[in-house]
Amino acid sequence: MRNRRKHVLILLLFVLFIVEGTVVPWLIPGAWQTRIVPHLSYIAILFITVYDNRHSGLVLGLLFGLLQDVVYYGSIIGAYSFAMGLSSYLLGLVFRSPRAPLPLMMIVVIIGSLLLDSILFGTYSLFELTHQPYTWALMNHIIPNVFVHFVFALAIYVPLRRQLELITKHRSSQSQA
Amino acid sequence: MLKLFKLLGNKRLFILLMGLILFIAIMGFTLGPRANLSWPEKFVKDTVGFVQSIFYKPTSYIAGLIHDLSNLRALQEENESLKIALAHYTRDKAIYNRIEQENARLTDLLDFTEAQKNQYNYTYRIAQVVSVNNDPINRTIKVNLGSKDGVKEGYAVISAEGLVGTVSRVSNFTSTVKLLTTMDAKDPNSNGISATAQGKENQVFGVVETFDPDKGMFLMNKIDDPSTIAIDDTIVSSGVGGAFPRGMVIGKVKDIQVGEYGMTYTAYIEPAASFMDWKELIVVYTPEVLE
Repeated sequence: MRNRRKHVLILLLFVLFIVEGTVVPWLIPGAWQTRIVPHLSYIAILFITVYDNRHSGLVLGLLFGLLQDVVYYGSIIGAYSFAMGLSSYLLGLVFRSPRAPLPLMMIVVIIGSLLLDSILFGTYSLFELTHQPYTWALMNHIIPNVFVHFVFALAIYVPLRRQLELITKHRSSQSQA
Repeated sequence: MLKLFKLLGNKRLFILLMGLILFIAIMGFTLGPRANLSWPEKFVKDTVGFVQSIFYKPTSYIAGLIHDLSNLRALQEENESLKIALAHYTRDKAIYNRIEQENARLTDLLDFTEAQKNQYNYTYRIAQVVSVNNDPINRTIKVNLGSKDGVKEGYAVISAEGLVGTVSRVSNFTSTVKLLTTMDAKDPNSNGISATAQGKENQVFGVVETFDPDKGMFLMNKIDDPSTIAIDDTIVSSGVGGAFPRGMVIGKVKDIQVGEYGMTYTAYIEPAASFMDWKELIVVYTPEVLE
């Protein structure tokens, strides 16, 4: 019964991923379309890595990153998978606590957003897909993204945390029994 | 030294390093041109593409409706300019038909081979956009024509306004379009487009090979003689080299400057396509070249 809750959660992540590429571009005003690129499913994965555990965060990050890479395969596969997996694992390693309050979670989201976009930019620079300096990327899309991610995280905080608590509670009661 | 071994004995670190190596290998392997996608990639792309198209269409419809309502006033202006364009069209059509027939007669006289005659006989097919990835560095869009519809890697993709990009990866029912805004002369995997100015096809020659994200303009390099090209000229692809179709509108010249090494000139081109709010695109099928 509760296991089904987990599957629904993964399905919701998938829906978020779909929405990222189809609905979100229409909501963003024209001049900002290349500058605001929200990674909604990644933010949800950050919640999982903090409130549940870092290993599911790692696996989900790798999986959804790979999905992003394959579906929008322009010039390289693996950039998103690497960045999402690594950053959600690291954040889980540092910040994991099932009782993390709202401000701490928001700090995680901000650091996670910066980390993801920076790793991505680093990968693209390494493979010479871009020759812009890091400061350009910072001003162009990394900082605007932080704001959008922050707002999105605020919006999903209450419902997502409640669901995650139900899942972890179920698991701990099962292990006791 | 012993400490280092202890650190490496840490299983977690070992897995992390292996993962790093694996990822760099994957990225290096998938970078650059590939003959074909493997079947898992194709499967994921097509199934996700199907789901995406279910979401994308209604959204674009609603967004378009709102946009249309707010633009109702501009409609009259647009109508007027379209009427003028239509008048031009009917006049040019007569001239065009005569020239085309004369051209066909001359190619017959000169014994052109069938392949030579069909070289510029492009087929245009409309494709619906399925999803958009606005990643600033690796920007792509997905359209719903795939290898089952005959799309091949490298085909040009245009919108009603102008050239948008080239097909970069093809799966069975969808294909990914790499936008022109990812063009970079320093990137060995990015090809330039040989270009010329409309109406001066025999005088102007240059290569559009870089997009400047700060200015939002294309750079057309290697222009020999700056006196032939003028500001507000419409730049089209010239088709020299054969791989890329000719006559695709790229944009308008905004500025001409001395190029990187001082030998040639560089023109700054404002893109004709808007690169936002995608709905339908047109894939240009170039005829098969026999080898």
